[in-house]
Amino acid sequence: MTGGLQRAASTVLLVVVSFLLTALILWVSGYRVGTVLSGIIQGSITATGAATSTIRWTIPLLLIGLGVVIGFRAGFFNIGGQGQFYVGACSALVVSLGWREGPVPLVIMCGMIAAILAGMAWSLLPGYLRVQFGTDEVLTTLMMSFIGALVLQYLTAGPLRNPSGTGQTAASERIPEAFRITDSSGVSVTALLLVGGVAVLVWLLLERTRFGLTMTLVGRNPTMARWQGIDVRRVGLGTFALSGALSGLAGAVELYGPGARLVTGFSPEVGFTAVVVALVGMLSVWGTVVAAVFFGGLQSAILFLPIVTDLPPPALVLLHGMVAFLVTIKFRAVRRRRGGLAAKPVAG
Amino acid sequence: MTVPSGPASAEVPAVRCRSLGVSFGTVQALHDISLDLAAGRIHALVGQNGAGKTTLANVLGGLQAPDNGTVCIAGNQIPSGDVRAAKSAGLAMVHQHFSLPPSFTVAEALELTAARPESHSVYRRTELYRRWQNDVAEVGGTNVLATRIRDLPVETRQSLEIVRALASEARILLLDEPTALLTPAATDTLFERLRGLRDDGVTILIVLHKLREVAAVADTVSVLRDGKLVLGPSEISGVSQGQLSDAIVGPAPDTDRAIAVEAATDVEQQLLLELVRVSSRESAFEPGLASIDLTVEAREIVGIAGVEGNGQRSLVSVIAGLSAVTEGSVLLGGEEVTRAPPARRRLRGLRLVPFDRNSEGISRSAPLWLNQSALRLIGRRGQFPLISLRQYKRQASEAMDLWRVRYNTVAQPAESLSGGNVQRLVLSRELASGLEVLVAAQPTRGLDFSATNFVRSSLRGLRDAGAGVLLVSSDLDELFELSDRLLVMYGGGIVARFNAPFDRQAVGDAMTGALR
Ligand SMILES: Nc1ncnc2c1ncn2[C@@H]1O[C@H](COP(=O)(O)OP(=O)(O)OP(=O)(O)O)[C@@H](O)[C@H]1O
Ligand SMILES: [Mg+2]
Repeated sequence: MTGGLQRAASTVLLVVVSFLLTALILWVSGYRVGTVLSGIIQGSITATGAATSTIRWTIPLLLIGLGVVIGFRAGFFNIGGQGQFYVGACSALVVSLGWREGPVPLVIMCGMIAAILAGMAWSLLPGYLRVQFGTDEVLTTLMMSFIGALVLQYLTAGPLRNPSGTGQTAASERIPEAFRITDSSGVSVTALLLVGGVAVLVWLLLERTRFGLTMTLVGRNPTMARWQGIDVRRVGLGTFALSGALSGLAGAVELYGPGARLVTGFSPEVGFTAVVVALVGMLSVWGTVVAAVFFGGLQSAILFLPIVTDLPPPALVLLHGMVAFLVTIKFRAVRRRRGGLAAKPVAG
Repeated sequence: MTVPSGPASAEVPAVRCRSLGVSFGTVQALHDISLDLAAGRIHALVGQNGAGKTTLANVLGGLQAPDNGTVCIAGNQIPSGDVRAAKSAGLAMVHQHFSLPPSFTVAEALELTAARPESHSVYRRTELYRRWQNDVAEVGGTNVLATRIRDLPVETRQSLEIVRALASEARILLLDEPTALLTPAATDTLFERLRGLRDDGVTILIVLHKLREVAAVADTVSVLRDGKLVLGPSEISGVSQGQLSDAIVGPAPDTDRAIAVEAATDVEQQLLLELVRVSSRESAFEPGLASIDLTVEAREIVGIAGVEGNGQRSLVSVIAGLSAVTEGSVLLGGEEVTRAPPARRRLRGLRLVPFDRNSEGISRSAPLWLNQSALRLIGRRGQFPLISLRQYKRQASEAMDLWRVRYNTVAQPAESLSGGNVQRLVLSRELASGLEVLVAAQPTRGLDFSATNFVRSSLRGLRDAGAGVLLVSSDLDELFELSDRLLVMYGGGIVARFNAPFDRQAVGDAMTGALR
């Protein structure tokens, strides 16, 4: 497994380089790098509530990131996690507000199922276009993501708007307190068990089931897979469905957890950061867990930093962007060498 | 004693290497190779699958940096692993795996790799076509120029690689199994051109498997075995065929045990594969099937002869379920499968050795064990979903050992296998239990001669165990040796049927369409 170690080391190196480059930019623009770094550490680990906040952000990043990993296994680049996340949250909200009097576990269950189905639908449409017509899924999932954001905006500003709400951003009514699986910190044993269970299931699916192996073959060489009797289209659709399902579920967890209501444009970056999480996690399940914790910490630090420095929050988003940039370059280089994944219909 | 009068002297070998060593992990692919290739001659390089021939060619061409040792071209040392230095020293290669960029059109690819590209950087398409039309004329006509490389059949790709190398005006040519995909006639043409180049002073190193071809074209021969140079370069006249094959195989020759495949044939069932008036649509490089009738019964090998491109590919992919049938019906073991998906046919005992092993037969970046286990992934609905990887890997390594695939670990990617070992991997997967009908397209392509014998005796073993075999081959000797019946394809139809013993003249006439 020295190859695996080597790849892990080179990924860690990339992250370190991104840190240094960001520090350089901050230093050139006249900020005190030392303060910023200690702010990052405080904001993600040592300050009161920082560690909890790190985990709170890890949860959606991990769920959506695992969806990206699943897509990649079969050779598809689903970057529309943000929109799938939003429509998932919206569906859970509709169920929960529509059935306030229902038995609590049942409502939560139904809300999560609705979220999963909505996420699936949002991902299956690009998926169908991809396997049927060869439409590039990077574009279509991204477009669908924008539509998802608009759906959220429409619901929170329109039919589900909290009439007594004030302020500029539109927000929905709160769901009944009984439905929540965490307090506003966003961390609880239930939530952790749920996410941990999902991670284990995804790992089993990818590494220990026939379907997982089939996905790997399809992702690496669809022509060979067809000769082997594998139904490449069905595998493609199944992959898109599962990938979207996880993002949808993340939306439900967000609502029943820290959110309790939906605000227009909430958590605006998680869906995109999750793609970086999956890439930094080297598209493996456990790597993605580690990367999700790391980026969860960064997210938490971004929210904390304004307290200790005059650094505007977008400055740290720069770090995300830097990591994403470098990891993508590395990834493209590997992909080029493998010569895979030209957008082609997986004709059957 | 006369002192050579400088680097241009005739005594300076065109290529000289000293104590070359290359290892991949624990595999020593090349071991202390020192070799001089005299200028202006054709040197053959032979050896078993995995002996290190491709690795040696890659080191000489600067594609692979050796762990130790040096390479000199025309007396000048080439920096280790420097392709450009090797190129500018006048060296060109034809690879066993194709190197032309798949998304380029043929004209673009040729221009890209040309020795002397047009000087201006903006070009017009018509100009480009005019420039290259003579070179591709014999490869498939000038209309091939606008086709993307990836859409070409493997045979045409191979020919293009050769065209590219010959057009490069190189002084040293390295050709790695250039004849593996060529028809006998095209092989003769190639050899003719190589002799012409030699007479103009070009030095040629050619990797070959067939000793007949070595005798036909080479001036000297060298033998690699397990990464060591065990013979040569020696004058071809001074080496007998027997000496040569002994050198290739070594002191402990593989005893050819044909694999025991329990064919899963139902004894009652006689007719295993039947095509009734089957037609299909034409594809880019082949006519579609034209109302074909064909049967394969239990205990027989049916050979399909024909010049490449007369519908053999269409036939194989129609049987596999990968191209649609426009008319007629396909039956497997008595069951109609005309519209059934490939999986259904696989489950009915159909096994396939596809034409293009590198894209259709294996997934190059996937690990060996996954390539080997691919057939176990389909049609298991309702079974316990979790699987034991250890068991998959163990069974894969057992099957590969049986076929003597040379590999390090089952986790290495399939692309790290040598060309012939890839074919063995495919065979180890397809010629295993559950087989009722085997459709084998060029099953011995790229195999060394002991492996070729192994495959042939395995095909006979399958037949004797009750299976049916449809053998598509461009090697008439192979077809004559193995087939019980022989069908000749021409223009998408079957134009002649023969029973053993076969008349070479009549079969040859049918192949050229003379019987039409
Ligand atoms: N990239 C690689 N990684 C690991 N092993 C390799 C790699 N390339 C080659 N090998 C190993 O080195 C040995 C020599 O391979 P090579 O391709 O030179 O054989 P060859 O003589 O060309 O065989 P063939 O006739 O089958 O083409 C083989 O055992 C092969 O498995
Ligand atoms: Mg080779």
